[in-house]
Amino acid sequence: MKALAALAGAAFTVAACYGLGSMIAARLGARLRRDEKFPLAFVLGAGVLHLAVFAVMALKIAYKPVLFTMLSACVAAALATGDWRLPAAEDAGRDRSLPVGIRYLFGIVAAAFTVLYLFNAWAPEISPDGSSYHLSLVALYLRARGFTPVLTNVYSTLSGGVDILFVPAFAIGKHSAAALTHFAFLIALALSVLSYGRRIGQPLAGAAAALLVYLSPVVGIDGTSAYNDVAVAAIVFSVFYWAQIWDSQRDGRILIAIGLLAGYCYAAKYTAFVMLVYALAFVAWRTRRMGPAMVVAGCSLVMAAPWIVKDWIYIGNPVAPFANRYFQNPNIHVSFERNWTAYLRNYGLKNLWTLPIEATLRGEVTQGLLGPVFLAAPLALLALRSRHGRRLLAPCALILATYFGNVGTRFLIPSLPFVALAMALALEPAAPLLILLVTAHAAASWPESLVRYTQAWTLQGIPYKAALRIIPEERYLNDHLEYRWARLIEDHVPPGKRVLVRSEVATAYTSRDVLTGYEGAFNEKMQDLLDVGWDSSSQPGKQWTGSFPERRVRRLRVVQTGTSEIPERQWDVHELRFFDAGVELPRLAEWRLQARPNPWDVQMAFDNSEATRWRSWETLRPGMSIEVDFGREQPVDQVRVELSDIDWNVRMRLQAMDANGRWTPLPAREELRQMRYAGSVRRAAGYELRAHGVDYLLLKDTDYGAQDIAQDPARWGMTRLVYASGASLYHVNPNQVNP
Amino acid sequence: MTLRLGLLGVMCGILCGCGNLPEPYAPPTQRPFFEAPPEAARILNMADADVESHFVRDISAELQGNTWRWTGKRPTIRLHLNSNQKLVYSIDFAIAESTFQQTGPVTLSLFVNDHLLGSFRYASPGRQRVEKPVPAEWLEPDENATLAAEIDKVWTPPPPGGTPLGFILIALGLEQRELERK
Repeated sequence: MKALAALAGAAFTVAACYGLGSMIAARLGARLRRDEKFPLAFVLGAGVLHLAVFAVMALKIAYKPVLFTMLSACVAAALATGDWRLPAAEDAGRDRSLPVGIRYLFGIVAAAFTVLYLFNAWAPEISPDGSSYHLSLVALYLRARGFTPVLTNVYSTLSGGVDILFVPAFAIGKHSAAALTHFAFLIALALSVLSYGRRIGQPLAGAAAALLVYLSPVVGIDGTSAYNDVAVAAIVFSVFYWAQIWDSQRDGRILIAIGLLAGYCYAAKYTAFVMLVYALAFVAWRTRRMGPAMVVAGCSLVMAAPWIVKDWIYIGNPVAPFANRYFQNPNIHVSFERNWTAYLRNYGLKNLWTLPIEATLRGEVTQGLLGPVFLAAPLALLALRSRHGRRLLAPCALILATYFGNVGTRFLIPSLPFVALAMALALEPAAPLLILLVTAHAAASWPESLVRYTQAWTLQGIPYKAALRIIPEERYLNDHLEYRWARLIEDHVPPGKRVLVRSEVATAYTSRDVLTGYEGAFNEKMQDLLDVGWDSSSQPGKQWTGSFPERRVRRLRVVQTGTSEIPERQWDVHELRFFDAGVELPRLAEWRLQARPNPWDVQMAFDNSEATRWRSWETLRPGMSIEVDFGREQPVDQVRVELSDIDWNVRMRLQAMDANGRWTPLPAREELRQMRYAGSVRRAAGYELRAHGVDYLLLKDTDYGAQDIAQDPARWGMTRLVYASGASLYHVNPNQVNP
Repeated sequence: MTLRLGLLGVMCGILCGCGNLPEPYAPPTQRPFFEAPPEAARILNMADADVESHFVRDISAELQGNTWRWTGKRPTIRLHLNSNQKLVYSIDFAIAESTFQQTGPVTLSLFVNDHLLGSFRYASPGRQRVEKPVPAEWLEPDENATLAAEIDKVWTPPPPGGTPLGFILIALGLEQRELERK
């Protein structure tokens, strides 16, 4: 039943996309060939359907009947209008020039890989990102009947134009339905490359390129998982394809399709926004006018704007999770963005010149491989000799330019159709060589071959028993630790409670609120509490004192003047205290506190807890400050700042506001001393976790701090509920545990 | 036109970014203090923020160079420990060149609860570190213990006089060596 539901969920969603796309294509006057209608109409329909689902989610009416009615309406309308039908067969005659032997060879190869892919997509979904954030967000939105601010998951801020199509599929057929929907994009991508070859009169090149893309190991595993990269490639190629159709038909209505799809590129993945640049430039170049390009721009905005507005409203940053320095917000730390983007630029590879080998042959570091034949990708440049080749390589260059922002192999997938077509065009005059290349690619991409030369993320075989649920879904998933950890949470944590984890679990399989350590500013703060508890270098280890002759001031601030060449260095203040004649000033309700940057956490420096600390969450730089307005003039003669022991580059100065409202230096005798907290930092950390609504903690044995807590959970105010699969689940209950 | 649109976009961006900044906050609820279990041992660094609360006599109130303090003849500290097992008396100090010129070689005697632990003679100035196991019977668990280090000759300031100086104290305390596992 689960297997059928998965298939039905995907099939229904795909049918709705196709039906909607067929109707729109017909009304735009596009004369599509029989072979190109399905892929082009499906992708166009997916774009428009994503807007409809977005509206349903924004209205918070994502109930099954609503989604079902929406999909049904798309299919029914296409059937009623007759737009569902494919054009007559005689329109697709040019492929007869492809020799029968090659058609059979390519057909058998394609069929074998389709079986491989279908069963993998159909099997229970447990891909790393699919079972964590892609589908956990889908499931969360469905539980909430629509969008809800997810401030503790940075991935929720990425545009999700493809993921949102998983919503109706998931509502019907759960996790596998989403993966099967993505698989439909893979079919559409291969078919559109195939038909483009036919459209330009080079069917062998089209067929060979389609297989080069379709058989690529990273395309295979990505396209059969609940990811979005292959769908993005299909959308990107559709922009190009529709632009060529418009160029040959010169019907202004087709510009609407180009604009919608270009905008859908942004809606599906930020990095694909360059296709809007391509579309605008191509249309402007071919018409020598700005008007048609403006039509494209306007239509693209319809697709992209909802995602921009959503992030603006929920996160306070329309392009979240990027540009947080400019769109300051409490949800994503600047330091996270810097560390994350720095990692994505190299994945830890010390020498980027190894990328060609890594992306084509090894794939272990960059999480996937294209296949060894793509070592011959430079041959694509030979296609520059032809007009078709030049037209392919222009958008290819644009898409490739974004690759260096994330060198994961799957980020090459959107450029792959262009590269493959250009390679095939260049080699078409040497047809046997081209056929040999495709055959070798097929042999090298089959799972049994892959295990001989790579340990990368690839398909492992045909899991037909799992796909058909002959092996129960639970048993299949139980082979994966990420799933077992998720079930641990589901089984032991009451509904509505929050769980902090330090690294990924398959959150798509639990309905509990799981905070993954690095995935949001709040999560990072909770993780920091743990670190302060066990890591002495994160604990308050130094006290900076600024003493001066007693002075009456209303506003006083501590300004940080040091710099650090190490990007990870920050300014951390555990507590900021003011004294007069040796007595600490009580923190009165009329005080007003500010900090720059990160004003949202300033209270952490004034809460009397050594476990909490205000952090800049940016690299140490001069001008950072913490400011207090006492509400009235107050005699003060000393300021004490409690710092973490690692803040070696921090330098501080005091400033007071004068009667004219100007900040003036407050000369002080400075002293830096080591300090020890007399109380229990661990217990204070446990208290803070609970105070921030974190009731449970799941730590894998390999997580930072796991050993310290496991040795004596009571010291932290925690009790261990269960230990299984190399992970401990703790209940944070500092008021009930005696240390 | 394009320039105006661009400027409008930049202004919108700035407004959108600045609009997020919050109003100043009031101080939050003050957190309770969580008692730590008593320590088995402790070395007092002279720069520790709470170090003065452990002083009994003959240690300067003024921290020098963020790390050390002048002593008098018999610097003494008080520690409250929860164990008397496997404890080692540890002192990190220096004989200053300037005082040595007047005093010449000096002898330092170490005391735990007024029991003489040992005496050490120094014939030249410089930094020194001494560690010596403490008999368990000299200490009571969960009781205060006093640690002292007495120098036999102090530096006397020239007229009109001032505070006599002993040596440079950097750290003093008890360290617990790993207990044997049963």
